[in-house]
Amino acid sequence: MGANFESKYLMNKFFSKKLSIISFIFIPIIFLWHPNWLGFLGVQPYWPLFWLLPWSMINGSINGLIFGLFLGLILDSLTLDDSFTQIPGLIFCGFLFGRIKFHRDILVGHFRYGLICSFGSFLCGSLYFLQILVRNFSDSNFLILIPSLKNILAEVFLTGFFAPFICSQLLRMFKFSRRKLQ
Amino acid sequence: MLGIRRISTNRWYKKKNWILFAIFLFLVFVRISKGSFYKDLYYFISKPFWPGQFQKEIVLESIDQEYLIKLNLLKKDNLRLRQILSLQESSNNQNISAVVISRKTGSWWRQIILNKGSKDGVEIGNIVIGPGGLLGRVKDTSLFTSSVTLVTSPESKLGVWVDRIQINGLLVGLGDDYPSLILYSKDADIKVGDFVSSSPASTLLPSNIPIGIVQSIDETLKSKKTAKISLLAKPHVIDWVQILKVNI
Repeated sequence: MGANFESKYLMNKFFSKKLSIISFIFIPIIFLWHPNWLGFLGVQPYWPLFWLLPWSMINGSINGLIFGLFLGLILDSLTLDDSFTQIPGLIFCGFLFGRIKFHRDILVGHFRYGLICSFGSFLCGSLYFLQILVRNFSDSNFLILIPSLKNILAEVFLTGFFAPFICSQLLRMFKFSRRKLQ
Repeated sequence: MLGIRRISTNRWYKKKNWILFAIFLFLVFVRISKGSFYKDLYYFISKPFWPGQFQKEIVLESIDQEYLIKLNLLKKDNLRLRQILSLQESSNNQNISAVVISRKTGSWWRQIILNKGSKDGVEIGNIVIGPGGLLGRVKDTSLFTSSVTLVTSPESKLGVWVDRIQINGLLVGLGDDYPSLILYSKDADIKVGDFVSSSPASTLLPSNIPIGIVQSIDETLKSKKTAKISLLAKPHVIDWVQILKVNI
């Protein structure tokens, strides 16, 4: 009887821990899936930020930084551009998001997620664009300027648009799993 | 019995005189509109039987057949000439058909993932073509999949050939749907509508693979001319592709 209770408790604990890991595993899948019907001007929202924001807000800057690095490593392995990396942007966002406090008003909190993710997406997009610019500096870099600006702006808009829905749900899930663990 | 019949035959128009009035109004409308209603109705009814439509289909089919025959003759001719010049040739036996299972054609990353990998003999550097022409090159393979860098990717730089003016250029992806053609000659007489194919001098691609058409030209630079290229193969809609296993 005691052993049965203990195994049940351990299973519960394991599942609660898994909740955030399962959602973490889904990020590269969604990143690869790239559903066109969710896009705007052929651009997708920057998916990893939706997970990174709630994770960093709950677990702090250092955790955010580490998981930003992990996400960057996974996503870089999925994209073919060897010369450019998403790691700096995600590390910086993870660290930055960890320093953000929860807001008392739920509604304001929702919109805050949108704004924060938009800013994060702008940051990541700009850092990525800077790498492309530096790499192609000798070539015709001005040609890349307009499509890249379009990419950044569309990504910022979409990330900010979807963040309030996705981030608040993930935040609730992570809080729930944390409470269960304690 | 007779009485009943008489009553029913005599009074039907009195009961339904509003129908008569409606028909009258309709006929007045037809008269005023000079029969346009009937003409339009006839247009739709007779549309499937128009002789012009049928003839057009026959003519188009004949043109298709003619082009196919011409294409085959030219292929044979090309093969013969290449053999005479001792150039390398490509064979259709080495093509692998594959399905696009992941597509990133917007944003920064311009790549597709195919359902054929090293298990099926796909190698890094193989050429991927779709309906229309060149899509990109295989950059990475796993056991079951292969990742293709599209021509539109900022990582992609390919040697191309503008057939009309017989000049080589460099096709550079910019991260949008229209890669840029750079011609390192200010005097190059490139025009909108010029056809761009893979260069015979390229070390990455086999020659004569259709790529795109010049859409606009930018002449603001001093030492070179650049042009935007509209690709013939559209990576955002193509589901089936061919992987060419060609040694250049």
